[in-house]
Amino acid sequence: MSLSKEQVKTLLSVVAGTTDDSLDCDGCFGHVSQFVEMKLAGMNLCESMKMVQTHLENCPCCQDEFEALLAAIREVGGCEASSQTPPPV
Amino acid sequence: MQTKPEGISWVDWLGANHPEREMAVEQLRAFLVRGLKAALMSKGATNEFCEDIAHDSIIKILGKMDTFEGRSKFTTWAMSIAIRTGISAFRRRHFRDVSLDAVTEDGLKFDPADVTQGSPEDGLDRESILGKLQELIENDLTEKQRTVVRALLGGMPVEEIATRTDSNRNAVYKLFHDARQRLKKGFLAANFSESDLLNAISS
Repeated sequence: MSLSKEQVKTLLSVVAGTTDDSLDCDGCFGHVSQFVEMKLAGMNLCESMKMVQTHLENCPCCQDEFEALLAAIREVGGCEASSQTPPPV
Repeated sequence: MQTKPEGISWVDWLGANHPEREMAVEQLRAFLVRGLKAALMSKGATNEFCEDIAHDSIIKILGKMDTFEGRSKFTTWAMSIAIRTGISAFRRRHFRDVSLDAVTEDGLKFDPADVTQGSPEDGLDRESILGKLQELIENDLTEKQRTVVRALLGGMPVEEIATRTDSNRNAVYKLFHDARQRLKKGFLAANFSESDLLNAISS
């Protein structure tokens, strides 16, 4: 089947939005838990976290996983905020 | 439910020699299930699916404890493993009966007239952009790149493409990203800017 109109538009959109990406998916995964915490805390992103941001903008699969992790941590964050001494579940 | 004792880390509590390890595992499992439900039930995951994924994730987490570097909270790190495990399982199930050939059939061909149909008379040279896109796809991309781009446009996730091409997720992503960069470079060399491309698809 030929590409649909929407698929051609998607392709042009991702081509226009392509930026240099120094991470691969595993590299992104290695930092994504820290990235999520910084996002939730509203912290400014350091250089390594900016690389994660760039990869997420370029990789729909990692973006999907990041959004799911964000949703999960938002749900449990209130009662499990500390990795050292979590309060009762 | 019992809670983790004060002053002990998750890594120690889950350690093989800790007398309360079973309790620690159960608390982590319950924690993961809550997060998985929040993240995946909107995508169609069931309670049973989330329970199964939490179980599988615990095994992975316990096997990777020595790779936890403390850059984030242990619980966030553990949840990242559970989420990736869950989404990967979801993708596998969704694409279980879909072949790569079925998704990439006919490659990246399209008819510019179909794409420009209904576009406003605003002076934008959409046909030139679409013609250039066809030319770049044909001349600047490798066969592997065309296959990966087509599969992704067809909705197949990177890791599922990797499975079907005896590759890995990183390599497939690199093929996709390199293809995009080649197309973008080709457009820029032909004096089409990012804005030109975005304007061409804005209506």
